[in-house]
Amino acid sequence: MKRLGLLLIFICAVFMSVSTVSAGPAYDKIMKEKVVKAGLMTDSIPGAFYNADGDWVGFDVDIAEEIAKRMGCKLERVPVSNKTRIAFVQQGRIDMSVANMTHKRERDKSIDFSITYFFDGQKMLAKKGEYSELKDFVGKKIATMQGTTSEINVKNLLKKLGDKNADKNVISFQKESECFQALEMGRVAAWSTDSTILLGYAAKKPGEYELVGDFFSNEPYGIGLPEDDSKLRDTINFTIQDMWKDGTYKKIYNKWYGPDTPYHFPMTEEIEMWP
Amino acid sequence: MFRYWLEKSYVQYLVLFILSLITFGYFYFYFDFGYDFDWSIIFTVNDTYGEHFGFSLLSGLKTTFEISLLSSGAALILGIIFGLGRLSSFKPLKWVSTVFVEFFRNTPLLVQLFFWYFAMPTALPESIKTFLFAGDFEFLTAAVGLSVYTGSFMAEIIRAGLQSIDKGLLEAAYSSGLSYFQVLRKIILPVAFRNIIPPMGSEFLNNMKNSSLAMVVGVAELTWQSQQVESLTFRGFESTTAATVLYLLLSLVISFVLNIINTRLKRHEAKKDNLYYKISETVFNPLEKLIQFFKIPYNMFVYREKNIPDYYAIDSDVKIFFKRTGLIMKKSLVLFLKGAFIFVFCVLIYEMIKGIAGFDFGVIRDNVLTLLFWRFPNGSENELFMGLGGLSFSILMAFIAIFISFFVGIAVGVARTSENKIFRIPALLYIEFIRGNPLIIVIFWVYFFIPVVTDSFLDVFWSATIALTIFTCAYIAEIVRSGIENLPGGQFEAAYSTGLSYIQTMRLIILPQALKQMIPAIVGQFIAIFKDTSLAYVIGVLELTFVAQGLNNRLMVHPFEIYTTTAFLYFICCYLMSRYARKLERKLSPGGDTSLVM
Repeated sequence: MKRLGLLLIFICAVFMSVSTVSAGPAYDKIMKEKVVKAGLMTDSIPGAFYNADGDWVGFDVDIAEEIAKRMGCKLERVPVSNKTRIAFVQQGRIDMSVANMTHKRERDKSIDFSITYFFDGQKMLAKKGEYSELKDFVGKKIATMQGTTSEINVKNLLKKLGDKNADKNVISFQKESECFQALEMGRVAAWSTDSTILLGYAAKKPGEYELVGDFFSNEPYGIGLPEDDSKLRDTINFTIQDMWKDGTYKKIYNKWYGPDTPYHFPMTEEIEMWP
Repeated sequence: MFRYWLEKSYVQYLVLFILSLITFGYFYFYFDFGYDFDWSIIFTVNDTYGEHFGFSLLSGLKTTFEISLLSSGAALILGIIFGLGRLSSFKPLKWVSTVFVEFFRNTPLLVQLFFWYFAMPTALPESIKTFLFAGDFEFLTAAVGLSVYTGSFMAEIIRAGLQSIDKGLLEAAYSSGLSYFQVLRKIILPVAFRNIIPPMGSEFLNNMKNSSLAMVVGVAELTWQSQQVESLTFRGFESTTAATVLYLLLSLVISFVLNIINTRLKRHEAKKDNLYYKISETVFNPLEKLIQFFKIPYNMFVYREKNIPDYYAIDSDVKIFFKRTGLIMKKSLVLFLKGAFIFVFCVLIYEMIKGIAGFDFGVIRDNVLTLLFWRFPNGSENELFMGLGGLSFSILMAFIAIFISFFVGIAVGVARTSENKIFRIPALLYIEFIRGNPLIIVIFWVYFFIPVVTDSFLDVFWSATIALTIFTCAYIAEIVRSGIENLPGGQFEAAYSTGLSYIQTMRLIILPQALKQMIPAIVGQFIAIFKDTSLAYVIGVLELTFVAQGLNNRLMVHPFEIYTTTAFLYFICCYLMSRYARKLERKLSPGGDTSLVM
């Protein structure tokens, strides 16, 4: 009998952590509960990561906090990875995914996106002084992360440059940190992904790594949102534009990507503004 | 009345048929999945990427097959070496083998793969590194990791098989003048193999399923490919289903072959009208004839050359001289080999101590609490269990999975042995379905399936824990089934004839006896499940492996320290459990030696 009781308690515990998705659109739920659930990466520097004190910080974290504040809600931070970020939006586990997410048409079939809130492009990170242009990487091993647009882009690039074994030469790992480790130990000649991520990791070991070549793809980041919830999409879009207008965006940007930071990344484009 | 009808087998089939029809109808017509199934992605060329994902899944299956075959062969060799090594009277060899087996059995394969792939090359000289990197290093490390892991399990099986041989048999062999190698070849191996092959076969099957972990080092095997399809098209449901079907087919084929071999080994006990028996006879009989045919010239040649030694003849001085020098040379060779072994052993130990002494212990000291508890109790209020993570999270997951699966597993196992098909067939399908798939696929299933079916979401912690529970249940059920089936049939008859009902018989007579036999196997399963918690890292559960990776990512410069500590933490927990299991085993089998391994 005692065991049965314990079992019941466990079952209850499981069900208590289950929260059913309400039938209505996400926007109504957010406004009712005054909580926005945002999916954030855990090991993307300086997008969203745990710093030395164990705090969860980064550009994406600040953007998400600001959006929640302007919507008059509390932010609930949910850790996501490149594997889970889209599934979570689909499932309703999160209301928005602020997680280095490139806005792609294939992705737009499953979820919606906000306007572009960050402009990035893909580059190669390699040991300093070994490579000078993208052509040098033909026939070399390149690390990428599985399930990212950079994986497809780098394969296409290598094929275009004449690498016959492009599919074999691109090694896909599960995490960014694994890609960097593979680069560190010399298994791969370069790691290719969005340049800000590369900068974040390169800053860990100043002077040892450098970005090689030009951008070979545009990576406009959008906030991933649930499909067909135009009210939420409007709110998020307007909020981003407001942030840009009153200078808050610039302040957050400079905090993480400004000239004084180790991840210096000059801003080249402007956010789409609607009059 | 009710019971009368239920005993008819056509009624049982009918009930099952109606039940499955209802389930199917409910999900097909009535239930709203909130998800559009699009199975065409597996059968057509995708427009956006210009790839046929069905073919990429099949190429993944091919890689899975290759890596399993290669690592099984290597594991067998390693297993024989270290299994014999553990029984050797030469102490250093025995110690090395024991350490090897215990260490690799008691740390998760995932952590081992990370070690082989990310940490090992940094310790190698540049020339070897360049040589290794020129080849397919990912495939190689995965194969090595799998071989070593499976090899350590093989070694235990082989050791137990050898130890189970009757001492008298060996004494008789030695006293009839056979040398050690002759005894090994003619007596020990043929007898032991009969005990060894069935558990070894299931180890090969496990090895195939474990090969799914090769995805973490970027090997494009089946799980990796299914994940690839998922991440490119967001069709997790379809791609995981496809991978599941392929894994299931592969497992079924392998266990079919294993069953045929097992039947052949026990051909004298097997029923003659058994399907496996018939197949094994048709396959093996011609094979045996063929071998015998080729043996004829071999025997003619070998036996003519050999003349029967005449023990009473007196050797000439020259002959004695040669015999003696031969003996001395043999002895000195053995001595030399032993010396060389000790030398290598000492060098290895020296290198290891040097490596460990070079560790930055400050890093371990600063971070060990994080590894144990993550952010507990400083986490924010919406984190599960106040930011708990790390080793304590792994233990918690394992504990919940073990607790629930123990009871449910017994129920399913009893249902599996039931005469009534209403219970037996669903239990059989469940067990075979789960056991035919790698844990990682089960995790993905729970992760994708539960939100779709229940229209709700779970914290990843619960997804992983449920997956672990479902997975462990099937294995425990299988252990329970074999425990019950191993009891003599007279037990049932005696119980029934004293007037006990089925439930009473099970509860009072059968299960207590069966459980006692099964305890070592069940504890072994619990150790396995604790190691398997590391897989939850793939879906982002903050357990020990995930935390170690996160820490490593932040600190960057101390991968060796972090990974060694992690492996050590896993090892301590598993080792303590396996010690306990061994103690239990001894306690439960009075007088018998420790021969149960699985």
